[in-house]
Amino acid sequence: MLLPFFKWMESLAVYDASIYLGPGVNIVHLCAMVTFLGALMIVDLRLLGVGLTHQPVAVVANDARPWLIGALVMLFLTGIPAMMATATAQYANSIFWTKMYLLGLGLLFTFTVRDRVALGEAGRAGGSTAKFVGLASILIWLGVAALARLIMMIPGNTFEWLVGPSVS
Amino acid sequence: MFLELFRWLEVNLPAGAYLRESTYGFSALLTVHVISLCMFFGLILMMDLRLVGWGNLRTRAADMSARLFPWQVVGFVIMVVTGVALVWAQPLRYYGKTFFWWKMGLMVLAGVNAGVIHLITTRSSAAWDSRAAKVAGGVSIVLWTAILALGRLTAYEWFTTEYFLE
Repeated sequence: MLLPFFKWMESLAVYDASIYLGPGVNIVHLCAMVTFLGALMIVDLRLLGVGLTHQPVAVVANDARPWLIGALVMLFLTGIPAMMATATAQYANSIFWTKMYLLGLGLLFTFTVRDRVALGEAGRAGGSTAKFVGLASILIWLGVAALARLIMMIPGNTFEWLVGPSVS
Repeated sequence: MFLELFRWLEVNLPAGAYLRESTYGFSALLTVHVISLCMFFGLILMMDLRLVGWGNLRTRAADMSARLFPWQVVGFVIMVVTGVALVWAQPLRYYGKTFFWWKMGLMVLAGVNAGVIHLITTRSSAAWDSRAAKVAGGVSIVLWTAILALGRLTAYEWFTTEYFLE
């Protein structure tokens, strides 16, 4: 259903202007990923009851938040052109779709459940709710990063059992 | 100078050929390398941002450093083990990569800079907010960003010489 859209994105040839565009955007994407995961993990470790345990969770989370949001915006700004450049190959790749679904879950989880626990009173530090949320957050987002690395590196049909084949 | 050594490693390292030729071995190593570097560099960055004065300002820099240190070490150890394994799998390929050697050089500088931060800040608790600590924090961000970029650039064919087992 989405295939014409992906073909159109690829036809825009966003990287054709220069051979340095792809690697350059990719490196900025990686820097944003490191910043995002740093700002995420500093809070998740705190939720798990380690790291900055002398501070309330909300203080750690509020201080990290501008870096978390800024890095997330940068991830989208750099990730979208990277995907557009090879859109039809991404479309046919089950690892890409698994990453997108997990990314969706991560965004939903982070800005609903995790925000309530990290920024509000819901998560008493060291409680089992806080620990679960911290662990789930780390696992989801490291999963997104791992899947991103695996796209185009292991066979594209590896996760078809999970997300189904992309019919062209 | 090291070429003969790297040729020898390519032939003699146990499991090297397996890692080189397997579909999943090399991919798994690279993935764990990326994940662990996120943990290491991500937490280093949070500490450096505090040192420079750009973020996490309600936590004292000394606490930031002491409390994140064990987790930075966890990331660092996994990153180094998988990094060594990646070179283990393809010694001659990395030998011919200019960016790989630059990366190794900058990692030495980043280690020296970490030592400098330690020396600056052991003098007194006020030293954590000194100008010298700010500069060293900024240098750390620049060095590790460059190391990340060079690691990524190693995958491309720029500044690459191919060597073969004669």
